[in-house]
Amino acid sequence: MPTSTDTAQPALPKNFLRPCLLLLLREAPAHGYELLDRLRAFGFEGSDPGGLYRALRKLEGEKLVASAWQRSGAGPDRRIYELTRAGRKELHRRAKALAETRQTLASFLGRYEEFVALDAPRRARGRARERDPEREEAAARG
Amino acid sequence: MSELEVLKVREEVLQAMYWMRAEGLADEPSARDLSSFLAVPADTLATYIDRFVAEGHLEATAAGFRLTETGTAAGKRSFADEFADMTSGAHGECGADCTFCNSDPNAAASCLEQNLNGEHAHQH
Repeated sequence: MPTSTDTAQPALPKNFLRPCLLLLLREAPAHGYELLDRLRAFGFEGSDPGGLYRALRKLEGEKLVASAWQRSGAGPDRRIYELTRAGRKELHRRAKALAETRQTLASFLGRYEEFVALDAPRRARGRARERDPEREEAAARG
Repeated sequence: MSELEVLKVREEVLQAMYWMRAEGLADEPSARDLSSFLAVPADTLATYIDRFVAEGHLEATAAGFRLTETGTAAGKRSFADEFADMTSGAHGECGADCTFCNSDPNAAASCLEQNLNGEHAHQH
């Protein structure tokens, strides 16, 4: 899981794991393993349970997240995490900061795209995928 | 190593191992796994782990280390104790039970903004 020195693609904001965890817990209380899975949607591709564990402990230590044991029929009891009221406020602060970052990035990208169209390679890849090599080969033969 | 350090590291290791086991991530993590999981140098951790084995909190296996019954109970207990008083919000704050804030995103934004400014306008 990416941390402040992560190398995930696409590049993520510094400490992005923190607001992501708060948001996921705003959506629904969850166990650790489930959070690992749901983090993938935010670009955290590599599984790093230790990073998640330490982040959750830190959030809990700051009273932004609370956890409790949940009885398990088969295995050991599991820790289930939920957002506290203070966590909601911290999430709101972080979301507002990200919204400001979005504006800054949009400004940067808009100015850069006056020189280079960033989505051109993607469009070109799409066109290449639409090509049918068999048909092209047949056309070349015929 | 001081006894206070041993106590602190023991709690950290047993809690982490309990969590890993409960989440189905590892029943018998190696010393390297634990070192990586807790983000502490392997050499530092190794001495402590030997001691926890000698105390009967852990047992060595072919793959790594497993919590004993004593270790399992200690890991679970210390985890619960550490965060025992952290579940409730302060007066005037809104949470999942607030029908006003959870009615729509605009209401939630309004409430959170007021909270950040030290105000709170609606009743629960």
